[in-house]
Amino acid sequence: MKYLRLVLRNALRNKLRTGLTVGGTAFLMFVLIFIMTALTEMEAWQGAAETHRRIAVQHSTGLATPLPIDLENFLRSEAVTRHAEHLQKLNWFGGYWQDPKNFFANFGADHLVVRELWDELSIPPDAYARWCAQKNGAIVGKSLATKFGWKLDQKITLHGTIYPCNPELEIVGIFTSSDIRQEEQLFFRWDYLDELMGGKKIVGTYWMKARSAEDIPKLKEIIDGHTKNSSDPTETVTEKEFGEQFMAMMGNIRTLVASLGTVVLIIMILMTANTVAMSARERVTEIAVLRTLGFTGGHVVLFVLAESVLVTTVGMVLPLAASLALFNGMKLSPNPQFFPYFLIEPRTIVIAIAAAVLSGLIAAAIPAELAARRKIVDGLRQVV
Amino acid sequence: MSDSVVRVQGVAKVYRRDTQEIPVLENINLEVAPGESVALMGPSGSGKTTLLNLIAGIDRPTRGRIEVAGLALDGMSERELAKFRSRHIGFIFQLYNLIPVLTAYENVELPLLLTRLSKAERRTHVMTALDVVGLTDRIQHYPRQLSGGQEQRVAIARAIVTDPTVLLADEPTGDLDKRSEEEVLILLKRLNREFKKSIIMVTHDPKAAASAQRTVLLEKGALVTA
Repeated sequence: MKYLRLVLRNALRNKLRTGLTVGGTAFLMFVLIFIMTALTEMEAWQGAAETHRRIAVQHSTGLATPLPIDLENFLRSEAVTRHAEHLQKLNWFGGYWQDPKNFFANFGADHLVVRELWDELSIPPDAYARWCAQKNGAIVGKSLATKFGWKLDQKITLHGTIYPCNPELEIVGIFTSSDIRQEEQLFFRWDYLDELMGGKKIVGTYWMKARSAEDIPKLKEIIDGHTKNSSDPTETVTEKEFGEQFMAMMGNIRTLVASLGTVVLIIMILMTANTVAMSARERVTEIAVLRTLGFTGGHVVLFVLAESVLVTTVGMVLPLAASLALFNGMKLSPNPQFFPYFLIEPRTIVIAIAAAVLSGLIAAAIPAELAARRKIVDGLRQVV
Repeated sequence: MSDSVVRVQGVAKVYRRDTQEIPVLENINLEVAPGESVALMGPSGSGKTTLLNLIAGIDRPTRGRIEVAGLALDGMSERELAKFRSRHIGFIFQLYNLIPVLTAYENVELPLLLTRLSKAERRTHVMTALDVVGLTDRIQHYPRQLSGGQEQRVAIARAIVTDPTVLLADEPTGDLDKRSEEEVLILLKRLNREFKKSIIMVTHDPKAAASAQRTVLLEKGALVTA
C-alpha cells in the first residue's frame, strides 16, 4: 500500500495518454461484457434446464413435424409412467400481439400439469382455478404483463404465424418465477388451440418429468425404441439438450461472438502494452534512480505491473458499472425480441475482472521485465 | 586498514562493446576513512563516475575487490546489492534526479519506503532531513516548482534520510549557478564535519574539490595521486 501513491502518480503522469487508454479499454471492455452477456443469454435456458428433470419428446425429423396424438396413450402407459410423470402436450404457437414487433414466447399447453411440470413458476391458486374453468384463459408472466401493460381480465388476441388461427384470450392469471426470464412467457390451453384448429389434434412436443436422473436414459430408450419403426419416430431429449438444438442452429454465430470477444481482448492487451511500454521507456532514468536508492528489480516489475493493472481495472469498472445500471438496473435490452432480458450475470462480472487484471499483467509483462533488467548505469546514462 | 569505510583494491573495469574491449579503470586502490571527505577529480572519461558507481554497487568491477562498511560487494546478488545500497549508500546526482510526480517530501521519503518504519517515523526522518537542508517550507512543492539549488538540496535530503554510511556525489554542483553551488558545498561540508558523514565527491570544479579533506586524481583510468 505504501507504494500505491507512486503507482497512482505515475499512472496519472500523462493524463491525456492514460485517459485515452482508459477510454479505449473501457470501450473494449463494454464490447466484451456485451458479447459475454449475449452468450450467457443465449445459453440461459440451458443453464436453467440443468436443474430440472424435464424431458421432451419431439419428432426425430425436427420440431416442424408434429407428433401423433395416439402417442399420448403410450406415454401414459405404465411402461413410461413408471419412470416419468406430469405428461404435457406443449405447442409452440409463435404468435404476436397487435404488431409483429410484439413477439414473445407463447404456448398452447395442457393446463392440468403446468404447476407440477414447470414448478419454478409460481401460479396463484385462484388464477389456476380460473384457468382450469375457462377454456380461452391465459396465464402470463409478470414481466411480460408489465411490458405490454396487460391487466387481469384483459382480452388479448394472438396473431398466429405458424397456426392459421388467432386465439382470443382472456388473461386469468399472472405468474412469477425465480428466474425472471421465465416471466416472459404466455400459456394458453392446448384444448382451446385444438378447438381453433378444428380438432386436428396437432401435438408439437410432449413434455414430462423424469422421476429421477437415472430414469432419463431409460425413458429415451423406451420411448424412442417404441416409435423406432413407426411412421413417426421420436427423439427424446432432456430440456438441456432441447435448448442445445437452438444453440446448434446458431453455432456459427456463437463461434463468431466468441472470436470477437477474443479479438477484443487481444486489442485491449496490445493497446495497454503500448501505453505501458511508452511510459516505462520514458522513465528509464527514474527507474535507474529508484534502483540506486535500493529498490530491486522486483519492485520495478511490481510498479509497472500495478500501473498497467490499475489502468485496465479502471477501464473495466466504468463499463461494468454502466452495464449493470443499464441492463440489470433499468432492464434495458439491445434487442428485446431476441433478448427479453440482457442481464449481466455474476460469472460475467468475474470474467470481466479477470480479463482486466490478466490483460493488464500480460500487457505489462515485457515492459516490466525489460525495465527491471536494464543495468542501472545504462539507465542513469540514458537521456530521455 | 580495517578502519576504512571504503576500501578499493586492485579494481579494474573494462567495458565491452561488441568485440571491442574498452578499459576504463586499471588497478585502482583507494581507501576512505570514516568521516573523511574525498574529492575525485580528473578529466572527462578518466573513469571518475565509473569508480563512484562501483563503490555504490550499481556496477560491478571486472577485477579487484571493493569493501564498503566492511561488506565485500563482489559475490553479492542483485538483491543483496540493492539492500546494501538502501542501508549504506546515499547517492547525489549531478542532475538531481528527483521523481517529478512526487513532492519534495515524497521524494525524500522514497528510500524510507524500503524500511519497516511507520508512517509517523518516516515523517520524523523526512522532516529532519529536510530541516538539515533548510527546506521544511517546501515540502509540498514538486521538483518543477523548485530552483536547481533547491532541487539538489532535496536530493541531498533524500540521500541522507536513511543515515547512510557513505555519501557519494557525482558532480553535485555541476548543474548549479554560483550561489546554489556555494550553498550545496557548505551543506556537504556541514554533513561531513557536523554529522561525520564520509563523502566521496566526483567533481571537475577545483573550488568544490577544495572543500574536501583530500583530493584524488584520476587520469586515463589510473590514480595519479592518492
